[in-house]
Amino acid sequence: MTIDDVALRVAEALGAAGVPFMLVGGFSSNYHGIPRSTKDADFVVQLSAPLNEAFARTLGPEFESEPQMSFETNTGTQRQEFRVSGTLFKVEVFRLSDDAHDQERFRRRQGVMVDSRQVFFPTAEDVIIWKLRWARAKDREDVRAVMGVQGDKLDWPYIEGWCERHGTRALLEEIRRTVPRI
Amino acid sequence: MPANANPDSLREQPAPYLPPPATQRLIDELYREELIEAREMALEEKVRAGQQLFESACRMTLAGIRNQHPEMSEEQCLEILRQRLVLLRRLEETS
Repeated sequence: MTIDDVALRVAEALGAAGVPFMLVGGFSSNYHGIPRSTKDADFVVQLSAPLNEAFARTLGPEFESEPQMSFETNTGTQRQEFRVSGTLFKVEVFRLSDDAHDQERFRRRQGVMVDSRQVFFPTAEDVIIWKLRWARAKDREDVRAVMGVQGDKLDWPYIEGWCERHGTRALLEEIRRTVPRI
Repeated sequence: MPANANPDSLREQPAPYLPPPATQRLIDELYREELIEAREMALEEKVRAGQQLFESACRMTLAGIRNQHPEMSEEQCLEILRQRLVLLRRLEETS
């Protein structure tokens, strides 16, 4: 099983369970930008309670969930983890937060078909906004890649508006200046 | 050293951006977990995984290209993927 098989299987199971979701993180920047290796499939789900053991069973015997199906972590972030036995792969399921941009990117998410399965991704603009807020080295590279690929198709006023609110406008411009004109 | 040797040094610089505290705590937690996992992996395992993970990443990018250009043939989509990998090299050269 490959990491994209893992992500698609989880997407299919979430869809079948009627759980609204989107696939974020490295998968979303790969979708809108340039391939970068990732061993994690990160999902955001709209749920009030954690995914239960019945859900974990629908994923298949290779998927191992935490002994206690919980959303809480040390940092107070609401996330759940599944591992795929015999592989390095990990599935992180984050609960949709109250953050205004998290809500907005979830509302604007786009449903597409990938290998005959429906997957929801944040828009390219929302990938940029979110990753600028995290601002790790790999996030900055992902932002450059999505900007470089999507270029003039991006809704810049939308990106700039959120970056103003987040205090990331200077970072946006700094990275934007380094994207070569093609 | 003349006073105007580096005029930019006298300009007010904006404070560097830092993620919100809650995001930073999550970043630190994820990084810690990533380090622990990486330490537990054998070198051969890392090398093998790298190739496979990159192929998976390419499949996801190709899915994005197909959805963005439904009118294109498979060969044309693969050509766009190749162009993106060329762009990656250009971005790396100019970073």
